[in-house]
Amino acid sequence: MSLVDLMSMAKPNLKSRAKVFSKLKGRDLVNCFQCIKCTSGCTALKLLELKPHEVEKLANLGFVDELVASDILWTCVTCLKCIQRCPQKASPYHVIMALRNLAVEREVKIPEAFMKAVSQVLETGMAEAYQKIAKGTETFDRESLKLPRIGSPREGFQALFLKALEEK
Amino acid sequence: MKTAVFWGCRILTSQYAYEMSVREVMPKLGVELADLPEALCCGDPVKSVNDFAATYLSARVMALAHALDAGQLLVPCNRCHFTISEAKRSIEGDKKVSEKVSGMLAEEKLEYNPNMRLWHVIDFLHGFVGLEKVKKAVKPWKGLRLASHVGCQIIRYSDLGRVDNAENPTKLDELIGAVGAETVDYAEKLDCCGAHLLLSHVDTAFSLAGAKLRSLRELGVDGLVVSCPDCGLMYDFKQKDAAATVGVKLEIPVVYYTQLLGLALGIDQEKLGLHLNQSPVDRLLMKISV
Repeated sequence: MSLVDLMSMAKPNLKSRAKVFSKLKGRDLVNCFQCIKCTSGCTALKLLELKPHEVEKLANLGFVDELVASDILWTCVTCLKCIQRCPQKASPYHVIMALRNLAVEREVKIPEAFMKAVSQVLETGMAEAYQKIAKGTETFDRESLKLPRIGSPREGFQALFLKALEEK
Repeated sequence: MKTAVFWGCRILTSQYAYEMSVREVMPKLGVELADLPEALCCGDPVKSVNDFAATYLSARVMALAHALDAGQLLVPCNRCHFTISEAKRSIEGDKKVSEKVSGMLAEEKLEYNPNMRLWHVIDFLHGFVGLEKVKKAVKPWKGLRLASHVGCQIIRYSDLGRVDNAENPTKLDELIGAVGAETVDYAEKLDCCGAHLLLSHVDTAFSLAGAKLRSLRELGVDGLVVSCPDCGLMYDFKQKDAAATVGVKLEIPVVYYTQLLGLALGIDQEKLGLHLNQSPVDRLLMKISV
């Protein structure tokens, strides 16, 4: 569903708004004066129509529940141009990341790869699995390339990482 | 001062050429690297799911380096460098986060050291090793015309303290200049490779990579130089996918800067992993050997 459709029946939720505001790492969303520098430089805007300034405005107005349910959050490329160029330190990137965290907390359906990465970290310590590289008729891996073996996290890491994931 | 190295996931699991070339180049420039005892995620993909868990992972990386008695940590991956930098800021700027993280690290008898200096390969070579030392160590070429792609997350955002200027980064170009190659200026220089979208919008990720490579094709450069495993993955490993997505034929040699530097230091191609690049690096190698 598009953001506009969702908005037509939406009501602001100030509690959710406060939650997002508390996670902006020192940046202050109320300072946003809609100059649209973020959107004009946005990498995702070109292809996926992410409009960071709209995300900013909607979050500011308290339409957080609608944003959290929208798949537009997951189109951010995290190129960080918006933070760099924001003259108000209002930082769309951090708003989007806070909204993503909230979506996960509320068990909204999110792109599978993110949860898969988390379970990989839990299992092996790493977000990705070792790959064999094919070139011509040969394949290469760490062993054939004589690269050192690097150990897995020690026992106890799993429980600690799970504990960290419970932090809200 | 002892230098630890944290590779992150992508380098250790597929971008072997970057790892091999960093391992070959650094000792030639007088730097010994100490590997962390455990492979670990920096927290980057976890950030979208739970910011605190990502901060914890980054803190654990730094604590593992501290346990090796290292005073500085080399992080060759742009995303890892950014994630760890932001975690560092959260821990040092927020008492609540710092207490929680320290408590969790203490359960493994690990400790966070706020004085751990972070480096990326680019500022490490440019600033710590020193551009002049690099220049003296190499046998430079002539007539090579290259494009640089520094990536996103080591240059933005400036108030976090980044590796180079956000809007006009020059260090990678200067390092390329040190091996005797000319670099071109191009409009798409700061454009993102799109790798993060591999997690959610694969075709769009390839369109972004393809669009940049298409512009480079028109510039007629001898190759593209990268310094991030995500960018290497997109422009080198996935060049064919990128080409198919934007509908043009692309044959652009893409190498890691440390591979290029290694060649100029006289290191064997195979030791630099040049047989692993998926883009047509032979063209670049032919030009160099002439």
